Amino acid sequence: MSEILKCEEITKKFGGLTALNKVSFNVDRGEIFGIIGPNGSGKTTLLNVITGLLKPEEGRILLDSKDITNLKPHERVKLGIARMFQGMRVFPYLPVYLNVELVARAVYGDVRLARAKTSWALTMSGLLPEAGELPTKLTPYKLRMLEFARILVSNPKVALLDEPFAGLTSGEAETMIDLVKKFNSLGITFVVVEHKLRYLMKIANRVMVLNQGVKIAEGKPEDVVRNPQVIEVYLGVS
Amino acid sequence: MDVDIYKYILLFSIFHSSTYLMFSIGFSMLFGVAKIPNLAYGSLYIFSSYIMYTLIRYLALEPVVAALIAVLAAGSMGLLIGETVVKPALKMPVTIFITTLAVAYIFEEFFRIEMGLRPITLPLYPGVTYVLGVPVSNHWFLVLTASLLMFSLLTVFLKYTVIGRSIRAVAESWDESRRLGINPLKVLRVTFFMSGIYAGATGVLLTPLKALTPTAGWGPLFTAFAIVALGGVGSVSGTLIASFIYGFLEQTMTYVLGSGIASISPLILIILVLVFRPQGIMGRAE
Amino acid sequence: MVFVKRSARDLIISKTPFLAVLAALALLPLLGVGGYWLDVLTRVNLFLLVTLAIDLYSGTTYYLNLGISFTFGFAGYALALLNVYYSIPTEYSLLLAIPISVFFSLVILLPSLKIRGVYFAILSLLVPIVYIGIVTAQPFSLYLGGEGGLRFKQLFLDFARSLPSDVRLVFLQYSYYYISLAAAVIGYLVAYKIGFSEFGFMLRAIGQDEELAEGTGINTLKVKIIGYLISSSYVSIAGALYASMRPPVTVDLVVPANTLIPPLTSAIVGGLGTVVGPTIANYLLLLTYELMWGFIGRWRVIVYMLLLITIIVIRPQGLIFKIYLDLKKRLRGVLRE
Repeated sequence: MSEILKCEEITKKFGGLTALNKVSFNVDRGEIFGIIGPNGSGKTTLLNVITGLLKPEEGRILLDSKDITNLKPHERVKLGIARMFQGMRVFPYLPVYLNVELVARAVYGDVRLARAKTSWALTMSGLLPEAGELPTKLTPYKLRMLEFARILVSNPKVALLDEPFAGLTSGEAETMIDLVKKFNSLGITFVVVEHKLRYLMKIANRVMVLNQGVKIAEGKPEDVVRNPQVIEVYLGVS
Repeated sequence: MDVDIYKYILLFSIFHSSTYLMFSIGFSMLFGVAKIPNLAYGSLYIFSSYIMYTLIRYLALEPVVAALIAVLAAGSMGLLIGETVVKPALKMPVTIFITTLAVAYIFEEFFRIEMGLRPITLPLYPGVTYVLGVPVSNHWFLVLTASLLMFSLLTVFLKYTVIGRSIRAVAESWDESRRLGINPLKVLRVTFFMSGIYAGATGVLLTPLKALTPTAGWGPLFTAFAIVALGGVGSVSGTLIASFIYGFLEQTMTYVLGSGIASISPLILIILVLVFRPQGIMGRAE
Repeated sequence: MVFVKRSARDLIISKTPFLAVLAALALLPLLGVGGYWLDVLTRVNLFLLVTLAIDLYSGTTYYLNLGISFTFGFAGYALALLNVYYSIPTEYSLLLAIPISVFFSLVILLPSLKIRGVYFAILSLLVPIVYIGIVTAQPFSLYLGGEGGLRFKQLFLDFARSLPSDVRLVFLQYSYYYISLAAAVIGYLVAYKIGFSEFGFMLRAIGQDEELAEGTGINTLKVKIIGYLISSSYVSIAGALYASMRPPVTVDLVVPANTLIPPLTSAIVGGLGTVVGPTIANYLLLLTYELMWGFIGRWRVIVYMLLLITIIVIRPQGLIFKIYLDLKKRLRGVLRE
């Protein structure tokens, strides 16, 4: 199967509100799949459902043909789903290396392997000098790199990125794009939720558009952007 | 014969519930805004009572005047406690447990040293009325009226005044209210004062019925805590419902099981409710 | 990686204060410190276990388990019940009471482990209150001793009776003291190990961002349960030992003001999440309280409470650990010259 992630008819309700309405999509192995949509369209909710923090009312999630719909979040991490949260979320009072090492320890049984992988991930993201520091001392770019390191270290099958370009300068964003491309070429599939279309278009193979919990378009970035429904939905939103 | 028991249960359930309501709403309001219980609440209860007692006994003031002064004193003391002991500790809310508890101990010790352990009492509203054949001190009616009045005033205040709405906003979210231009610390101050007034009023109204000792603050505190937990932190209507559930349950259990278990049966109920619905009856889920 | 191996000299220097204090405490009875203060220290040693329990669990995960006084007192009641109704000698009752207390604490608080924040604290606080109500209420008070408490045979009493009469009391006092000291030392060392192990870091991760911890691959439920087991084991051991040395067992052991607040204060003032801070605070605060009796008498409660308030208000995050670190830095600086 070339699909590494498959979401079937995901429906999530909060009280009377339907945040996600029968959302279905597939992500092919090795691709970079973008999810876009205006604020409140359900993008982050969808990521929460995929990672297991929320339980959908209906729907199934399959990772590499394995049904993970009923698995707890930490179990999904061990099976190969890694996630970067929106808004630079790390453990604020644990040193940088520990932020990464905790992931490694959970994924790899062996302590020495975990430590080795942690060093590698920190080197890859350029954080080795700051390894003993607290995240509060890092610049926004380095914080993003820390989140990236947490994803890398677990060698995931699928990495979910929630607005990775937020808060970065255009130079930093280009570096991020390079990193994503590099690790994509090494075999990691990416699902990127992003608001800044400019950067997403540069890296995504395919893109899905959500609006108010419903998928309204899917396909190549160039095509989706010209879709009249999509344009209407984004009108007035910068 | 059985009909009599029901009369008693009904009547005194209503009366007791109204006392619980009285000392819970002040506590509830403050808990809702500060997000942390004020364990010195019971202290304000005994504080106003002792002040009123001293004013009547040593300055021969009219009870009503003494009561007003005592209640205002409690409000001010509440404000003082808020400023000195709660506000600086807001950085680490857990510590407020300890600081307010320490204040409660200070009050208890102080009154123990100054006033001794002998119970004191305050003047009762005179007269007795027969309800359904049961003699009831008129003071209970005063308490019932005061309780419903305090509750209604608070509800109106919270719904229709600017300050009241600010209090509700801050209770909902400190961040959101800041964005709306409200200063949560100012609101906290007002809430402390009001909570003190309510605690003080409760003390002054209930002491005539239940003699006062320095340790008398804990009972109301625990009950208020349990009731607010049941009704939902920050929900005034929740406090109303919970007070009556508590009162009725306790009274009924007293007649069925005897006073021992009866006093904790509401607590067991509350634990059961909280396990399945931690935010209480009317509370907001996190 | 990025850690520098500490030199042997550094290691010895850093352990010296601990060893010195330990030696002093161990030698106290031999230096002539007598009855009253030995009892006080015995109590303070056992309270250290409770302080560490709070620090290790609530201090890391920020799940405020205020039902600790229930666990403490329940261990005592379990001990007494085993001794009185099942005629099990106190020494064995003591050992049995610990797992019984841990089990009940787990069962009672388990449903609330999924509840966050303030609500968990509220719920846990109600547990000891309800327990007190049950024990002192009519049907149960007959079996559980009610207000007066349940009388049982004190620890080592049988053995003490076989000794000459003038040695009996001293024997009991000394044996209690050394047991409590051993428990305190072991508890401290284990807490240190746990606090800075991977498990300890996982607890902290949960406290800092539980959702993120789940997303980090940490099985938060398992970690919380194990953490709670460790914490209540500490408290159960302390409670069982404490009760065994002071019959009768009464509800005073369950009153939060007696067995929750002092250790909680020590943990907070000492610095939640550190091990040294709460330990120092535990001894400092509790011994100061005792010392005040001699100097201030009647006003000691008020003065002490004011002192506590001041300490907390000055620095809610905990004063003692910070002072400790500053002193250590200065000491290291001095020793280098």
